[in-house]
Amino acid sequence: MTETNTVLRVENYSLAYEVKAGAVQVLNGINLAIRRGEILGLVGESGSGKSSMASAIMRHLAGNARENDGRIWLGETDLRTQSERQMSEIRGSRVSMVFQDPATSLNPTLRLGEQLAEVLIRHQKLTPAQAWAEGEARLAHVGLKTPREMMQRMPHEVSGGEKQRVVIATAFACNPELIIFDEPTTALDVITARQILDLFGALQQETGVASLYISHDLALLSQTADRVAVLQKGVIVEEGETAQLFRAPQHAYTKALIAAAPQPQRLLVQPLDAAAKPLVSVRDVTVNYGRKPLLDSLLRRDFAPVVGSRAVTLDLRPGEVLGIVGESGSGKSTLAKAMTGLNRFEGLIEFDGKPVRGLSDMDAEYRRDVQIIFQHPDASLNPRQRISEILARPVKLYGKGQGTTRERIVAMLERVRLPASYIDRYPHELSGGEKQRIAIARAFLSNPRLVICDEITSALDVSVQASVIELLMELHRDTGAAYVFITHDINLVRQIAHRIAVMYRGDLVEIADAERITDADRAPYTRQLLEAVTPPASTHSA
Amino acid sequence: MTDFLRRLLRSPQGALGCLVVGLILIAVVFGPYLTHYGPEDMQALARYKGPSAEHWLGTDQYGRDIFSRLLDGARSTVLMAVVATVIGTLGGAIIGTGSAYLGGRSDEFIMRTNDAVMAIPSLLMALMVVSLLGSNSVNALLAIAIAFMPSMARISRSVALTVRKQDYVSAAIARGEGAPYIVLREMLPNVIAPIVVEMTIRVSFAVMLFATLSFLGLGAQPPATDWGLMVSEARQYLHRSYWILLWPSAAIALTAIGFNLLGDGLRDALNPRT
Repeated sequence: MTETNTVLRVENYSLAYEVKAGAVQVLNGINLAIRRGEILGLVGESGSGKSSMASAIMRHLAGNARENDGRIWLGETDLRTQSERQMSEIRGSRVSMVFQDPATSLNPTLRLGEQLAEVLIRHQKLTPAQAWAEGEARLAHVGLKTPREMMQRMPHEVSGGEKQRVVIATAFACNPELIIFDEPTTALDVITARQILDLFGALQQETGVASLYISHDLALLSQTADRVAVLQKGVIVEEGETAQLFRAPQHAYTKALIAAAPQPQRLLVQPLDAAAKPLVSVRDVTVNYGRKPLLDSLLRRDFAPVVGSRAVTLDLRPGEVLGIVGESGSGKSTLAKAMTGLNRFEGLIEFDGKPVRGLSDMDAEYRRDVQIIFQHPDASLNPRQRISEILARPVKLYGKGQGTTRERIVAMLERVRLPASYIDRYPHELSGGEKQRIAIARAFLSNPRLVICDEITSALDVSVQASVIELLMELHRDTGAAYVFITHDINLVRQIAHRIAVMYRGDLVEIADAERITDADRAPYTRQLLEAVTPPASTHSA
Repeated sequence: MTDFLRRLLRSPQGALGCLVVGLILIAVVFGPYLTHYGPEDMQALARYKGPSAEHWLGTDQYGRDIFSRLLDGARSTVLMAVVATVIGTLGGAIIGTGSAYLGGRSDEFIMRTNDAVMAIPSLLMALMVVSLLGSNSVNALLAIAIAFMPSMARISRSVALTVRKQDYVSAAIARGEGAPYIVLREMLPNVIAPIVVEMTIRVSFAVMLFATLSFLGLGAQPPATDWGLMVSEARQYLHRSYWILLWPSAAIALTAIGFNLLGDGLRDALNPRT
């Protein structure tokens, strides 16, 4: 009854997790089919059941999972009837999986070669020597320049991109029929991610394997997938050819998702008075990590600290939004921490004409004027404090303003569009977006003149991200505070920043006006970075 | 809270621990009302008696009712042990968390000093404090509290180090909070769970340490009803009536086991994921 070229077929599959309060429905009546050589993109926000779908296909479900009688066919095999032993034969040889973070999907205590050879020995029945030689060939195939050395290395000795290449080589090792990719580039830098995607495309063309590509990034899927299925709360609301789906989305949810993706053409920020005196001048700020050990200084030994950022100089005018982009480890956050007094630094920060040379110069006034918002609201809100205590601290510390503390907190909650009843809740009773709004409220309660946003939207879903950005821009218009907006999302930063600073390995490469960042005479690294960026979905279809 | 209690009572250790500790608490609170003999009432005609309907656990060398003496002793022994543990634990937790917060050279200095103190066995340490300050119950309590501090500091520091790296601590530093607020309000509540577990287990050590100090004559003084002291006094009459020795020893052992079980149960209940 199956078509010969259908690799994976999911029929009317539902899944629920049994928890104390009853059953939580995760997937509901899923129907999917992937043909040979096809890439099916599965897009959805966190909690939509994307990863549960992957686990269901791999037959690796949690103990409290309850399934209906839906079918999962891999070719002619009904995966739901397979025993655990039969399944372990199928995993790796007929279905394999590439996970999000290569740092955790490789065993840190085994050589890369052993991990790759193991798959070949187990499923291809090769001898260890054959497997080792074959492994080398596979690594050469995924574009690693020194496969022989790479086989001998431990995972911590190679970069994230190289690790993900090894994982991909392992996934392709036994020529499987189906490969499941679970957000394989989310943990990587923009440029590395682009290279991995190119590699994936080439291997896909060559082997004709069927792929299920799970992602939350519409823009990325619009370029990689042949067909896209949109998953919302466990239900596939829309499925179609990629170009068709993005050109004319039918379902309201798909439309909202596409609209929420940042588009550099749609500016969200007003032009700025260029003549104003700078609010902040950062002059030659250098941050070194590590401290000279006592023994070294006694023995007069040299000590080479790790450089976080090197002689960064930049200006920020009142009310300006400065975007800082760069890959991880480029010193973006280090600079932010230096400016808020979380890191020691050398050099000079001039704030409103007052020089700040070190932590001791940061008085209460400076602390009030400069606020920071962190990436993960889960980590930046103390889980043991109620919202009322979290938000009361800036009021108590900086005073100023009318009304009681509680009245001011309630007013602030209204401004960040949260109900006043949240005041007595704990952070874990709020959703991710709501928690980030609390963090924003905490920063703005002190009426700051400079707010540093350290990747504040990267842990959030696309639609939540859009509403948080909208809120930030509204507060920007109302308060006139200047922003330093650190991000790796270049499409987003082009929308909201006046100027963009590009950092690379601790150095400030250049600062350019946002509208001129695409000019041909930009620094080579800037151009490289922009080329690696996936253009937003809607422009792709236009 | 009710959910937490249900988890605690579901595990066998937790349920048993709660039962034993509950019984001991009843003895502490209602002790004098449970028996009609006073702890120091001597009956010259009823010395060295074994258990009977009259004297449930028998009588000692002066004809005092052992059951009444045990109930009375629970007050001093268990209460003192708990108080000493709480003081020692809290002190250690604050030292450890503070040390983790300060970091760098100060952290090194505090922890190396701590290591030096930890190198002295806790009984020796307690003996030293008592012999310096003089032997009575309050000093014994202080000695045990001090002897407990270094290891508690070590445990809480290791937990606090991970909390120190959380963004909420960074946020507090960035908005210019003082060190006491950060250590007491931001960090301490997040390291308290493992400390509470460790504390209940330590109560049993404290009971035994107290008993040891009293046994050596450095804690409570006769005619106090401290359990360790009762064991110490009963030693000479072992051959005439072993009951006098047996009951207080059993009470010490039962208390130690009870608190240990409660600690095990709490550990499981506070970390539902493990």
